[in-house]
Amino acid sequence: MKNDTSHIRNFSIVAHIDHGKSTISDRILEFTHTVGERDMEAQLLDSMDIERERGITIKSNAVRVTYDADDGVTYQFNLIDTPGHVDFTYEVSRSLAACEGAVLVVDATQGVEAQTVSNALLAMNADLDIVCAINKIDLPSAEPERVRAEIEEELALPADSAVCVSGKTGEGIRDLLEAIVYLVSPPSGDVTAPLKALILDSYFDEYRGVVATVRVFDGAIRTGARLQMMATGGTFTCDGVGCKRPLETSLPELGVGEVGYVVTGLKDPALVHVGDTLTDPDRPCDEALPGYHEAKPMVFAGVFPVDNKEYENLREALEKLKVNDPSLTWVPETSVALGFGFRVGFLGLLHMEVVKERLEREFDLDLIATSPSVDYHVFTTAGEMLEIKSPQDLPRPERIDRIEEPCLRATIIVPPDYMGAVMQLVVEHRGVTKDMVYLSEKSVEMHVDIPLAELILDFFDQLKSRTKGYASLDYEFSGYQASNLVKLDILLAGEEVDALSFIVHADKAYALARGLCDRLKGIIPRQQFEVPIQGAIGNKIISRSTVRAVRKDVLAKCYGGDISRKRKLLERQKEGKRRMKQIGTVDVPQEAFLAVLKVDDGA
Amino acid sequence: MTASPPAGGAVPWPARPQVPSAHALYLHLPFCARKCAYCDFASWATRDDDPLVVAYVRALRAQLADLEGLGVLGSVTTAYVGGGTPTLVGARLLGELVADVRRRCSRLTELTCEANPDSLGDDMLEALAESGATRVSIGVQSLSDRELVSLGRIHGAREACERVSAAVESGLDVSCDLMCAIPHQTEASWRESLAGVLGCGVGHVSVYPLAIEDKTALARRLGGTDPAWNDPDVQASRMAQAALILSGAGLTRYEVASYARPGKQCAHNRAYWTGVPYLGLGTGAASMLTREGYLHLRTCCPQLPDPPAGAVRVRLTVRTGRRGLARHPSLAGLSCDLEFLSEREALAEDLMLGARLSSGIAPELVRSAEQTMGERWRQALRDALRKGLVANACGGALAPTERGWLLGNELYGLLWGLARA
Repeated sequence: MKNDTSHIRNFSIVAHIDHGKSTISDRILEFTHTVGERDMEAQLLDSMDIERERGITIKSNAVRVTYDADDGVTYQFNLIDTPGHVDFTYEVSRSLAACEGAVLVVDATQGVEAQTVSNALLAMNADLDIVCAINKIDLPSAEPERVRAEIEEELALPADSAVCVSGKTGEGIRDLLEAIVYLVSPPSGDVTAPLKALILDSYFDEYRGVVATVRVFDGAIRTGARLQMMATGGTFTCDGVGCKRPLETSLPELGVGEVGYVVTGLKDPALVHVGDTLTDPDRPCDEALPGYHEAKPMVFAGVFPVDNKEYENLREALEKLKVNDPSLTWVPETSVALGFGFRVGFLGLLHMEVVKERLEREFDLDLIATSPSVDYHVFTTAGEMLEIKSPQDLPRPERIDRIEEPCLRATIIVPPDYMGAVMQLVVEHRGVTKDMVYLSEKSVEMHVDIPLAELILDFFDQLKSRTKGYASLDYEFSGYQASNLVKLDILLAGEEVDALSFIVHADKAYALARGLCDRLKGIIPRQQFEVPIQGAIGNKIISRSTVRAVRKDVLAKCYGGDISRKRKLLERQKEGKRRMKQIGTVDVPQEAFLAVLKVDDGA
Repeated sequence: MTASPPAGGAVPWPARPQVPSAHALYLHLPFCARKCAYCDFASWATRDDDPLVVAYVRALRAQLADLEGLGVLGSVTTAYVGGGTPTLVGARLLGELVADVRRRCSRLTELTCEANPDSLGDDMLEALAESGATRVSIGVQSLSDRELVSLGRIHGAREACERVSAAVESGLDVSCDLMCAIPHQTEASWRESLAGVLGCGVGHVSVYPLAIEDKTALARRLGGTDPAWNDPDVQASRMAQAALILSGAGLTRYEVASYARPGKQCAHNRAYWTGVPYLGLGTGAASMLTREGYLHLRTCCPQLPDPPAGAVRVRLTVRTGRRGLARHPSLAGLSCDLEFLSEREALAEDLMLGARLSSGIAPELVRSAEQTMGERWRQALRDALRKGLVANACGGALAPTERGWLLGNELYGLLWGLARA
């Protein structure tokens, strides 16, 4: 039995989004011959289609590689790829709990950005050994020396040991692997102590039940062993253990310090909690591992099946998705316009988009998501406090004493030239710039208080476009503040569409209503009759636009060879219509329900 | 064998799936002097002295001989040589091809040749008349030079008028194609184009709103924007204007976009809209055969697969390119896209196409739909009547209303939707 962990290195790769984590992971797999070049697909660790298509990492993924180091020793590296978007910060902290080290990737052309700072802080707080990698040095615009200085100044990390690499060409990858050997500590742990292992992720497999990704801190896990989950108290017999290389490879055991998977055989995903500690029911360890605090959803949207018969399927799909996305929460919601669905809580807008897309693709559902809302605290004249996550649930105005909304403390890092533009944008979004600190000559860190509801409109897109992509953003919840909020309703052909209502600051209601009516006019296709679109606060109409009736649709030639083509066109047209929601007599495309997101307010 | 049916409705619908042969023949010549900006047809810019042209026409004639050998041309009553620009291949070559069709299809009553004004010289008109063509369909599109330039046409308005008149003089039946909702077009210029071709004495006019098809030069030029000149409301106004002017001149609308003087309807095109089997030769050409017709064709096309059980209708589209066809003219070497239709699909297709005709969906077709689809059909019918897309016409036919014509896709989609149980 091995008790020597000196050859093991457990590390995560963390970075601001788009700084090249996944590419570096790919090069490491290639360099260590974990994957033949022949089988190399870009972004190997990103197994979801959505991840590859969008070039982002959403889920953490643990892969084992072996590396023959210059010192003649063969090392076992457990590499945990992590997401880079601010929505998924909780995934990063989960991954870090299983590691001794972190590779902090910084783009040589972009330098230190907001997520670089927050990831570095997460790694430092988790007491990890940090290896800095300056990536994309193959690009002509790379400035590794400037970035090295930024790492020293802005992160207070020793940058002389930073490794220059190119995930694209593979240059410097061996130096990086050597640095990991020397700078990251081997795991400590006692093989003779009672089993103590952290469940850092899990997924559901139709045949094998729940499969958990674990990190063993003490003891070992063997196939056939009885195991207990300390928080839930549930037990199961281990149906197999192994690691991913990156395909699953079964092993006789997971030893101390190792990362791998455990087949639980449990058929109910809800029985396995990510963050729980696995131990031996006959000889339990003294104390569970700290686990994670639950990620708190910040953004709420109604999610409805286009076809209401799919309601139960949607519920099942949400339950299955929750297995490896424990941050998901939902409660049933009913809409006059959209029927039965759920109010789902998300970590942010990207998370919302990703969840909707996963539900549609992995579970073959057609869904409509309403515009996202935040969790308002509504104090009634009767003195009670209601948590309102959906505009529909807002009490009548005369029953409301005041409404408080969640606010954020946001950190924006931007070159000094764009400070003015950012301040302007912050003001437009009801925010306040608290202070700013020069990190270096070329970057300023601004601290901003801003309502969450403003941030989930189009703040991030606007920030990127007004700073030519230079600004980066990170934020955390700061508290609730009273605000003058009203409910804006939208009427289509005279009927109020509850799913299009939203809560908005009174000062912005008129401009938003006007923008939204115009935008809906562009989205709602012309129908066989005229469709008025109105914005209203209470009984007062504050804006109006009209979709004219269609007089004529596309007429095409239809001779011999055109007939099949014509039929296919009609089928596509029917498919398009099927994906629309009929509200009263009006066919409404799904984008309409998100239109409020894109409203160019004020302008 | 049925006794010499005129193309179109003579064989009642319920019997049609059993008809083993074809009644219409189409030949495709995919050559043009230049590709028009809006064109997405199977056609390529070709020099008229390209040896490919001669080899291709020779290959078509060889295939025609093979079909005759198979005995499937005996019932053909209409033929159509289309393109591309058939007249680009020259009077001698086209004349020989037309004469060949005449010779091999003994029951032919109509033979149309598509033509472009710039390649429709007197020699061409003479060759067509002599070789047995009865009709020319001229791609005029517009009688405004400015509009013609914007479409990428290579002829001018004056030339077009002059050639249309010459064609009428030659004694052939003449049809003109005109396009509306095109760049620079106004209500006045559209009226002039319509009046212009009417003034030449044509007996048939087809009018179409310009469709901006993907991957055409025009679509690239527009870069995804929807130009005002092609707005659906503009299209609707132009089509209404055309209906008024053409019917005022004595041309009756018999299909959504086709107008003719009495006796001058295009029998060949009617075949497409009435479920009559047809054969198509040449790159991109489509054939529609009954199951029996398809099985018979397979005796000289062993490459074609067995039809699946339940398929009563087959549509074949030739995928072999121009060069491939010229090199290997054998029918046995053709590659085709195949579509097999069930009885229900064939019926829905005929309903969809029937709704394009002013005579509407024929009474016996309505009865077949009622028998085969029962409540589904009645439901669709109620829907179409309620939306004002169709109206009951004489003898139990169902005719499209003006609204049904303008909102064609709504109506056709409703009918084609019946294909799915």
